[in-house]
Amino acid sequence: MKKWKWSNLYLIAVFIMLYVPIFYLIAYSFSKGDSMSNFHGFTWAHYQELFADTRMIQIVIDTLLLALLSSLIATIIGTLGALAIQRTSRPVLKNTVLSLNNILMVSPDVIIGASFLIFFTALHVPLGFMSVLMSHIAFSIPIVVLMVLPKLQEMRQSMLDAARDLGSTTGQVLSRIIVPFITPGILSGFFMAFTYSLDDFAVTFFVTGNGFQTLAVEIYARARQGISLEINALSGVMFIFALLLVIGYYFIQQGAQSRKSRKKGGALR
Amino acid sequence: MKKNTTNLAFYVPYGLWLGLFVIAPVLLIIYQSFFDIAGHFTLGNYATYFESGTYILMTLNSVVYAFIITALTLLISYPAAYLLHYTKHKQLWLLLIILPTWINLLLKAYAFIGIFSQDGGINSFLGMMGIGPKQFLFTDFSFIFVASYIEIPFMILPIFNAIEELNEGFVNASRDLGAKSWQTFTKVILPLTMSGVKAGVQAVFIPSLSLFMLTRLIGGNRVITLGTAIEEHFLVTMNWGMGSTIGVVLILAMFLIMFLTGERKRKGGRAS
Amino acid sequence: MSQTIIELKHVNKTYGDTVVLKDINIEIEQGKFYTLLGPSGSGKTTILRAINGFLDVTSGDVLFSGKRVNDIPANERKVNTVFQDYALFPHMNVFENVAYGLRIQKQAKKDIKARVLSALKMVRLEGYEDREIAELSGGQQQRVAIARAIVLEPAVLLLDEPLSALDAKLRKDMQYELRELQQRLGITFLFVTHDQEEALALSDEIFVMNDGEVQQSGTPVDIYDEPINHFVADFIGESNIVSGYMIEDYLVEFNGKQFECADAGMRPHEQVEVVLRPEDLDLTSVDQGKVTVTVDTQLFRGDYYEIVAYDGAKNEWLIHSTNPAKDGDTVGLTFDPEDIHVMRLNESEEDFDARLERYEGE
Repeated sequence: MKKWKWSNLYLIAVFIMLYVPIFYLIAYSFSKGDSMSNFHGFTWAHYQELFADTRMIQIVIDTLLLALLSSLIATIIGTLGALAIQRTSRPVLKNTVLSLNNILMVSPDVIIGASFLIFFTALHVPLGFMSVLMSHIAFSIPIVVLMVLPKLQEMRQSMLDAARDLGSTTGQVLSRIIVPFITPGILSGFFMAFTYSLDDFAVTFFVTGNGFQTLAVEIYARARQGISLEINALSGVMFIFALLLVIGYYFIQQGAQSRKSRKKGGALR
Repeated sequence: MKKNTTNLAFYVPYGLWLGLFVIAPVLLIIYQSFFDIAGHFTLGNYATYFESGTYILMTLNSVVYAFIITALTLLISYPAAYLLHYTKHKQLWLLLIILPTWINLLLKAYAFIGIFSQDGGINSFLGMMGIGPKQFLFTDFSFIFVASYIEIPFMILPIFNAIEELNEGFVNASRDLGAKSWQTFTKVILPLTMSGVKAGVQAVFIPSLSLFMLTRLIGGNRVITLGTAIEEHFLVTMNWGMGSTIGVVLILAMFLIMFLTGERKRKGGRAS
Repeated sequence: MSQTIIELKHVNKTYGDTVVLKDINIEIEQGKFYTLLGPSGSGKTTILRAINGFLDVTSGDVLFSGKRVNDIPANERKVNTVFQDYALFPHMNVFENVAYGLRIQKQAKKDIKARVLSALKMVRLEGYEDREIAELSGGQQQRVAIARAIVLEPAVLLLDEPLSALDAKLRKDMQYELRELQQRLGITFLFVTHDQEEALALSDEIFVMNDGEVQQSGTPVDIYDEPINHFVADFIGESNIVSGYMIEDYLVEFNGKQFECADAGMRPHEQVEVVLRPEDLDLTSVDQGKVTVTVDTQLFRGDYYEIVAYDGAKNEWLIHSTNPAKDGDTVGLTFDPEDIHVMRLNESEEDFDARLERYEGE
């Protein structure tokens, strides 16, 4: 019993460590004054400042648009890629493709950023929204593949045979059996791609010109100039946003899980 | 025949991506590393890298930092992942571990600018304890601390998954055969969750070599990692050749880490 | 005479050097229950896949109602399959699973509903339309798989070891149901199993497979009573197989003695194998017995005792007796001439059938 308590204490300490900086940040977004020291009393001023900052609002919209667009395209290409890998029967080729797929997963951001910068310059692609979009699609594809592939492998051959046996053509097997079956994988792939895009700083920093800013790049620029409590207000808003995303994700998972447990219960009945 | 054409349709977009955004960039960065700032072919970048001493020292420094960050993260994360496995609502707790990773890294770094500043959170806390203000920001300590802070969830996750996969029966069998808790841990649990540790090390060590924004914001240019050097050469001094050379070194380091963590995993698998 | 709806003619299948089907000739007639019986790896599922179209045969013809279908893909063949693991679609409920094939055929919604409900009724799953697949027990999933196949009214329903995943009790129940269903629907069932009891209980006709060849085909009674060779005798039911010599028609020698028997048509002094089923052996005293054995062990099986005994030449004898014996006792075994079944070595099914017809006709 005593041991159990000690172990929880450790976990609590870890959680405190993880969350104190975030709450510290948010707490000062409500502080009068202009530095992250000595709370000067409550105010909404920094939030008002944030919402009046049209440049910032535009950047937020751009960032979300970029994330949505890049994750959508990455999901399509990645899903096709996973289907292609699944259909590859030669193990050597399959393993090679999988290793290549994972290169961008493990590559440090600076390498991705620097090599893409060289790539775009060599092809004379102007740096800006398009180059950033292409980069985000590129580094999101492998995670989609990794999310979809296990679902494809879960699929039993006999199920596909059964669909054929019941009269479906190859196209019908794909649209009626395979795609619905792997949809959870596609959704989590899309979700991961979306967060990857929102989270990215380094790659964007390399391949964006002066014309296009994402939130992360903007925060970096402002943070280098020192503390501005408008950023704190922004992190408050983003924390709420992340929280909503997490809750959404939790419910997606919970939905899948409760379906599973309902099934178990049904089997017991 | 029909099958081949549909396969082709699946392969084309993905294959294009593989060619254009995976293979071509790697080749290009290697190619670029053989050109000097004026665009002439040269081996000078590599010569500079190996002869000047500062680059070698910087690389070693970067590796040492990454090593410390990884070790520290592992030390904190393993027990946390282990304890997390035994909590009641572990999926919920796990989600709370993941949540901070969805707050942009730069915001977290920015938070520490506030916390570590001269009159920030830590120093006012120390002040209350009667200890005078200390310089935290722009020190090695602050860089390592913040980097570890950021990487902890990425270490906890794979370890947690490995512990989840561990068959409780093995633990019970070990206890049944007379092993004490600690013996069970070192002889059964740890070896069987090694794959998670390795995945975590991979996920932490490689990015730690390249966290240039942290060195800029928190390390205050005192700490220079491989990532900082690449960023400097590409975006400040515009010496892409030298930047690419360091990039190639970083890629080699990455493959080395993957090789080391991958190889041992296979050996472990054979032994068990 | 019912008409032949499926025929396999000289069908061979090889993978490189491995031969999985050797000159298979099978005829399937309208409205009967057929079973492909054999140990795993004997090629029975391969035959099924040659029929439902998931396998290209190396040579030979697969004929549906006399038409060659070798090049017709699986989705266009008028047979349907109940798969071993049922292969139900987990993302669809019971109704949608059963409706699947009809939807592919683009049937009218009203018809689909009516036919699905009637198919579910047929397998006694009324009221289960809205259930999720994972909510069903193994037996219920099995029925859904059957309903999904029969709703398309196939000429032949192929069943690939459908009962192997069920527990013993449920398996027995499903055997009755399958037999009943086949008779009610009147369509041909081609059933694959490795369980000889199941095959004997269900089938109108059995094909016994081994090593990619059909060893023997016939009614369950024929195959049980007149196995063609050592493999069939051993695989179907339990048997004592001893080697001996045919002295002349209706007289066979084994265990150093001559016995009257019911078989004929072999060459004089031809070496043969003799089959005696354990339930045909009766315990008696040594002097009245035709064979003398010493009891080694016995197991009580409920409705009989299973006794293992050895004769003087150390041959093992398996006896099913309603009376117990005592370990170590020396007893006599007796049997009637018609209990003896004599098998020639390496006799082809054709020759076997011809020979049987010749002397049984007399």
